[in-house]
Amino acid sequence: MGVAGLAGCVGNSGVLSPGGSGSDGGTPTDGEPPGSTTGDGTTGGSNDVLPAKDPPVAADRLPVAYDVGKLRNSVQSGGPPKDGIPSIDDPKFVGTAKGDEFLDRDDIVFGVAGEDDVKAYPQPILVWHEIVNDVIDGDPVSVTYCPLTGTAMGFERGTTEFGVSGKLLNNNLVMYDRNTDSRWPQILATAIRGGFEGRSLREFRVVWTTWEQWKSLHPDTVVLSKKTGHVRNYERDPYGMYTPKRGYYNSTKILFHTLNDDDRYKPKTVVIGARVPDGAIAFLKESLRKAGVLEGQVAGVTHTAVYDDRLDTAYVYRNPDGVSVSLDGESATATIDGESYAPDALPLEPVHAFDAMWFAWSGFYPETEVVE
Amino acid sequence: MSGIERTEAGLASRTAAAVGVVGRRNDARLVLAGTTLGYLLLYLYTVGDLALTGDGGVTVFVVDDLSRAFTSLGFFRFEPIALLEAGPITYLFSPLNAIVALVLATLVGVNLALTYLGWVQPKACGLEASSGVFAGIPALLSGAACCGPTVLLVFGIQASGVLITTFQYLVPMAVVLLVGSLLLIGRQVDPALL
Repeated sequence: MGVAGLAGCVGNSGVLSPGGSGSDGGTPTDGEPPGSTTGDGTTGGSNDVLPAKDPPVAADRLPVAYDVGKLRNSVQSGGPPKDGIPSIDDPKFVGTAKGDEFLDRDDIVFGVAGEDDVKAYPQPILVWHEIVNDVIDGDPVSVTYCPLTGTAMGFERGTTEFGVSGKLLNNNLVMYDRNTDSRWPQILATAIRGGFEGRSLREFRVVWTTWEQWKSLHPDTVVLSKKTGHVRNYERDPYGMYTPKRGYYNSTKILFHTLNDDDRYKPKTVVIGARVPDGAIAFLKESLRKAGVLEGQVAGVTHTAVYDDRLDTAYVYRNPDGVSVSLDGESATATIDGESYAPDALPLEPVHAFDAMWFAWSGFYPETEVVE
Repeated sequence: MSGIERTEAGLASRTAAAVGVVGRRNDARLVLAGTTLGYLLLYLYTVGDLALTGDGGVTVFVVDDLSRAFTSLGFFRFEPIALLEAGPITYLFSPLNAIVALVLATLVGVNLALTYLGWVQPKACGLEASSGVFAGIPALLSGAACCGPTVLLVFGIQASGVLITTFQYLVPMAVVLLVGSLLLIGRQVDPALL
């Protein structure tokens, strides 16, 4: 099964196309030549020819709210040099019993459920590496995490690998691919420098949840081992702590320059964000926990977010007909016209969505709709 | 030889003589050892190589590729190649980090030992106590520069490009300050009086 199928397994298909099809693109040659896909029409400077086959890119570019030149000028050093935060390139996995030896039930993990492979990537390990170059269901992928923006995202990588450039944009991890050294801010998933400039990666859903919730829903999961090939103190988070929230994660302070300051919410407020062809929409996670289902409009099109308390996450769907969705919290099922569905399997068009800190989301998407 | 060179040579020889006295006196050696060890531990803690996160057991892990010891992780920060856990103590051993730590700690130790000698010598010469300790502070701050200078959160400062660049110079700045402080203190200690 390909990653497109993989994405479907977690309820949200890959890259969202400007046509709203939710397609994940296809091979690089499937898409229009770079420069001809305008997305929201706000960026420019794409190259005329594809520089290389990998990483595989989406047929359509994801929305980018700024001129690429402005974004490039806003990139700053985070401190470590290129690969100073080393990616994990030969990941090893262990079963749940071994995982229990080093993970507490409330520890954050980033889960990927493929057809054959179900894997958890512990936040206490990824905070030191930020990128895992892995293979899921036979497809080479990168599972990525940026501690400063609270974002965990998955990308297809083809025959290349992603690494940590040491640079930040809007506090967000700027990745580089080891094939062309193009620079890819994680949240944008779109290159802002290099041969792939203006092209977007193919994404798949990575679920931000807890170890206990993930292994309860996926008892057959494997989990990334602490034997990463590097020596790090995985008992210590250099930024703070998630259980309970302390340090950077609980502070109202932001470490680096932001693209946009929107103080409607506290900076570290968690939203489930989705990019759509005509803009972006963010659902406050705490509101989703309470309401179960939330609806918002982007350019007149209804988008529905459905909470899944099994994993403390939510899935976003394009819902142009305004189909009524209700949620039974007891059975974790969503209901449409009397039919029951899992929150990640509604018969609506899924939109790729992920957890993010509010300041990061509103920085990249200043015109975002917000639903609370 | 110019006058300035003569002065520098005089400072150095006087400081060297004072350091020699440290080696001959048990009390000064004790100050040197205690301060060096204390600063060494403090530095390794601030750079994250030393922590109290052990689970009570004993663990030793060494990476396969020892050449990683030369991989830079940041400003005067290098990749650890071994993990040692004993009881509550976790130590990530990076040979180059350890060398940097040892150089800084020794400089701080000698500074403190000379300050001590200046304090106990029969004729006080208006010695500025503990300047050597303060000179070591920049190096301690450099430890926070690893994964985003989270120490800035404490001060409520946002990291600018200039600030990040400044972090690069904290360790060399500490070395310069410590050496300068050493010469300053050494000038004020009279070996003949000890």
